[in-house]
Amino acid sequence: MGNIEELVESLARDAAPVKPVPHPLMLSLGWVAGAAIYLVVTLWLSGLRPDLMQKLHEPWFIAEAASLALIFIATSLSAAVLAFPDLHQMRKAALAPAGLFALFMAILFFAWRADVPPAPLPMHSFECTANIALFSLLPAAWTFFSMRKFASTHYRWAGSVALLSAFSVGALWMLLHELNDSIIHAIQWHYLPMLGIGLIGWWLGKSLLKW
Amino acid sequence: MTDKTENLETLMKLSLGGDQRAYAVLLQETARLLRPFLARRLNVSSEVDDLLQEILISIHKARHTYDGERPYKPWAYAIAKFRLQDHLRAHYADRLRHAIELSEVENDLLEPVTKSDISYESISGEIQKLPPKQAAILHMMHQEGYTAKEVAEKIGMKESAVKVAAHRAYKILRKILER
Repeated sequence: MGNIEELVESLARDAAPVKPVPHPLMLSLGWVAGAAIYLVVTLWLSGLRPDLMQKLHEPWFIAEAASLALIFIATSLSAAVLAFPDLHQMRKAALAPAGLFALFMAILFFAWRADVPPAPLPMHSFECTANIALFSLLPAAWTFFSMRKFASTHYRWAGSVALLSAFSVGALWMLLHELNDSIIHAIQWHYLPMLGIGLIGWWLGKSLLKW
Repeated sequence: MTDKTENLETLMKLSLGGDQRAYAVLLQETARLLRPFLARRLNVSSEVDDLLQEILISIHKARHTYDGERPYKPWAYAIAKFRLQDHLRAHYADRLRHAIELSEVENDLLEPVTKSDISYESISGEIQKLPPKQAAILHMMHQEGYTAKEVAEKIGMKESAVKVAAHRAYKILRKILER
């Protein structure tokens, strides 16, 4: 008990004024805005797919892009919430990506069913995964760097969701950049790697966000 | 303290502004709140104290993640649970690391562990160099003549744990005496 009192005194002596970190909504808004600017700049440099205007008339393409954008926003918010020890008492926001991933899978399933006859597969394969991963490096680094200033008590989840957020904006870039009509190719090389990315994030969270 | 719940949030707000007195009161109140929570989950009181200190340091380090606008207790308990899980994980990992195969002690478990060819007095110097718990167990079994079961009852351990501790002590002593 004596030790506790000494510790309390010593901590109280160190108690300089502290500025509280921003609310998770503001934090995620910052991440979303930064990633959106990065996406626009990268698309401007790399170029939009030539048939984008035509694709914007296809309902499954719009649904795929919209759900991917929603996943990106939801994972950003979830990562921001998970950075707080008590999830900022917004547990539902932390779980929001789960529903959106389910919706996304349903959309991919219906898009695959509607792909009759199947669009030809492109010549390339894993290059897409590598390009998305490269694109995602900067947003991922930024998110992890920001999250390290917080105190996550769910560091594995936080790492996983943060990396999925960065990868989803990379997948969005690929969707708007690559001339590809094959949903099989997109599922295989754009979206399935998300499972591996989630696991890498799980591991990175333990290494980088534990405090 | 009247209306503690409200006060904890107010105290934290004041603390974030640099009020050292409010911060000291807040930490004392937090320690008072968390002590029974930890005591229910840990057996040894020294562990409770150690962990409580660790939690208070964690609260200090993470105080910038609290804005004073939401309830304080869930925030403090989230940190306490996090540190408790860390502590338990480390505790059990450590026990697992030091665990020995049952097959290794099978023979000793069958033998009466209070009998030995070497007298206690002849190696009492070496016994004193053993970890305190092992030395105490050997002393009670070989000097005072208690059985492993009686020792277990006296010091609040399981009989098998006493035998394992004795077995470890014998192993250490054997190594020393073989030199």
